[in-house]
Amino acid sequence: MGCSASLPDRSSSGRLVGPNSENGGASDAKNLRVKLVLLGDSGVGKSCIVLRFVRGQFDPTSKVTVGASFLSQTIALQDSTTVKFEIWDTAGQERYAALAPLYYRGAAVAVIVYDITSPESFNKAQYWVKELQKHGSPDIVLALVGNKADLHEKREVPVQDGIEYAEKNGMFFIETSAKTADNINQLFEEIAKRLPRPAISSTQNP
Amino acid sequence: MEGSSSSSAIFYDFLDRMRNPASLDLVRSIKSFIVSFSFYAANPENDGKKVQDFYTTMEDAIRDHPLWAGATDQEVDCAMEGLEKYVMTKLFSRTFSSTPEDVKIDLETSQKIHLLQTFLKPEHLDIPAVLRNEASWLLAEKELQKINAFKAPREKLLCVMNCCKVINNLLLNASMSENHVLAGADDFLPVLIYVMIKANPPQLHSNLKFIQLYRRQTKLVSEAAYYLTNLVSAKTFIFELNAKSLSIDEIEFEESMQAARMTNKETEKEATPTLEERTTSQGQTDPGPSARSHDKETSGASNYPYMDKEAGDLTIGDVERLLSVYKQVVTKYTGLCTAVKHLSLSRTEPHVTNLEARNVFLRQPEKTGKNSDQRVGQ
Ligand SMILES: Nc1nc2c(ncn2[C@@H]2O[C@H](COP(=O)(O)OP(=O)(O)O)[C@@H](O)[C@H]2O)c(=O)[nH]1
Ligand SMILES: [Mg+2]
Repeated sequence: MGCSASLPDRSSSGRLVGPNSENGGASDAKNLRVKLVLLGDSGVGKSCIVLRFVRGQFDPTSKVTVGASFLSQTIALQDSTTVKFEIWDTAGQERYAALAPLYYRGAAVAVIVYDITSPESFNKAQYWVKELQKHGSPDIVLALVGNKADLHEKREVPVQDGIEYAEKNGMFFIETSAKTADNINQLFEEIAKRLPRPAISSTQNP
Repeated sequence: MEGSSSSSAIFYDFLDRMRNPASLDLVRSIKSFIVSFSFYAANPENDGKKVQDFYTTMEDAIRDHPLWAGATDQEVDCAMEGLEKYVMTKLFSRTFSSTPEDVKIDLETSQKIHLLQTFLKPEHLDIPAVLRNEASWLLAEKELQKINAFKAPREKLLCVMNCCKVINNLLLNASMSENHVLAGADDFLPVLIYVMIKANPPQLHSNLKFIQLYRRQTKLVSEAAYYLTNLVSAKTFIFELNAKSLSIDEIEFEESMQAARMTNKETEKEATPTLEERTTSQGQTDPGPSARSHDKETSGASNYPYMDKEAGDLTIGDVERLLSVYKQVVTKYTGLCTAVKHLSLSRTEPHVTNLEARNVFLRQPEKTGKNSDQRVGQ
C-alpha cells in the first residue's frame, strides 16, 4: 500500500480544521461547502489522494470513521475563511463511465487524476476534461492531477505534457504523490483559492 | 446522519404544536396547500418544485411565528421534519409513482431484476472475494426492502442511508481485517448494484424519484446526496444493463436471460392449473396486455386502477401494484371510519367552524402516523 507509507507534508499554508466541523451544512461567504468529484481511471490513486488529505490531519489514535467512498474535510485559509470539501469518489471501472454525469452534476470542483507512469490514464483524463467542458456546470473548477510523482524512474507522461494540456484548457495543474504526501495539501488549497466566492457584503464587516 | 429513534417524537411534537390555537394560521396554509394539489393533474417536476417552495415558505413562517419565538435552528428543523412528513403523507397517493411512465419503469426494472436474479453472480461484477459476505448483503437488502413501509421522504431516505451504511461497514471491515486495500467507489458501487439486484426493492424507480423530489432540498446534501446518487446510479446501471456491462460471455448472457424468461412463463402457467376458460385464471403468459393496460389505467384521473379489469387481465406483475392500491384504500377507509365515529361522538360539542376544521385536520395525520409507526415497529 503505497499511500500510507510516510507522513503528510505539513509545510503548507492552509490549516486543517477538525474532522467534522459541521455547520449544519450551510454555506456562506466565510464558510464554503463544496462538492468535489474525483474522476480518473481505476488505479491512478484517487482513493489514496483523498485518504492522505483527510487522514493526514487526524491523530492516528482517534477513532474517526473514514467513509469508504464519501469523505469530507474542512480547511481554513489565511483569510480566515473555511472550505469544507465534500469529496465524491466515482467508480473508475469502464462499465460505470456512463454513470459519471449523475455524480458530477452540481459539482463545484472536478479533480481529474492520472498516473504519470501510464499514458493510457493520461488519455482517459483528457476524455474526462472534454466531457466536463461539455456537460459540467459552466463555472466548475477543473484540476488536472498527475499522481505517483514519486515514481520518477517509471515516468511516461512528461510534466510538460500535463502543464501544456492544462494551460490550453484553462485548468489548474499539479503533480502529486499520495505515497510521500507531496503536494496533496497544496492541491486542495489551490483549489480552494480558485473557488468562486459569494461576495461578502460590506455591511457584515465590522 | 440522523437517527430514526426520535422520528415519531418529532412528529407528535409537530402535531401538538399544530393543535395549539396560536398555530391556526399555519394550519390554514398547510390545509390550503394540500387542497390546492387536487385541482391539477400529476406533474412530478412541477409538483416537486411546488412542494419545495412550500417548505421554504413555511420555514420562514415558522421562524417568524410567535409559537417558535426564540426557537433554535434545531427546533425549527424538527418542525420542518414534522411538516414534511405530514404534507407528504397527505399527498402520497397523489405524488408517488403518479405517472404511467413511472409505473412502467418500476415494472420493467423489477422484471429485469427478476430475470437477473436467476443467474447473476458476484464475479460478473468483479466483486472481490473478501467483499462477498452474505450476512452483510442480507442486512443491506433488508434495509432496501423496507422502503415501502414508509411514506415520508425522510424515512424512505433513511432506508437508503442504512443500506449504504451496511455496505460501508462491510468495506471498512474488509480493509481492516482482511487487509483489503480500500478501493472506495470501485468497491462500493458494484456491491450496491449486487445488493440491489438481490433485494429487488419494490417500486425502486418511484421511490428514488419521490425522495429526490420531495425530501427537503436542504437535507439532500453531503452524504445523503452522495448515497442517494449511488442508488440512482445503481438503478440506472441495472436498467441499461446488457452483456457488455458485465464480465460475462455475450452468448451466455443472452441464453441465461432467455432461460429466465422461459422459467418465469412456466411458473406463471403452473400457478393456474385450471384452464384459460376460467375467469379467475391468473396465468397470463403474454405480459403485453397487462403492460398496456397499466398505461391506460393510470393515464385516467382515477387513483384506483383495475376497476375495469377482469381477473384474466392481471399478471403476476400486477400483484405489487394491486397490493399498494389495496393498502391505500384500506388506510383511507379506516381513516374515514375513525373520523365518522369521532364526529358522531362529538356531536354535542359546540360547532365552531374553525375548530372543527382543525380537528379534522389533526385527526387524520395522527391516524396515519400511528399506522406507519406500528409498521415500523414490527
Ligand atoms: N508509488 C505510488 N503509488 C501510489 C500512489 N498513489 C496510489 N498509489 C498506489 O496505486 C494503487 C491504486 O491506488 P488507489 O488510490 O486505489 O487508486 P484509485 O483506483 O484511483 O482510487 C494502490 O496500490 C496505491 O498504493 C502514489 O502517489 N505513488
Ligand atoms: Mg478508488
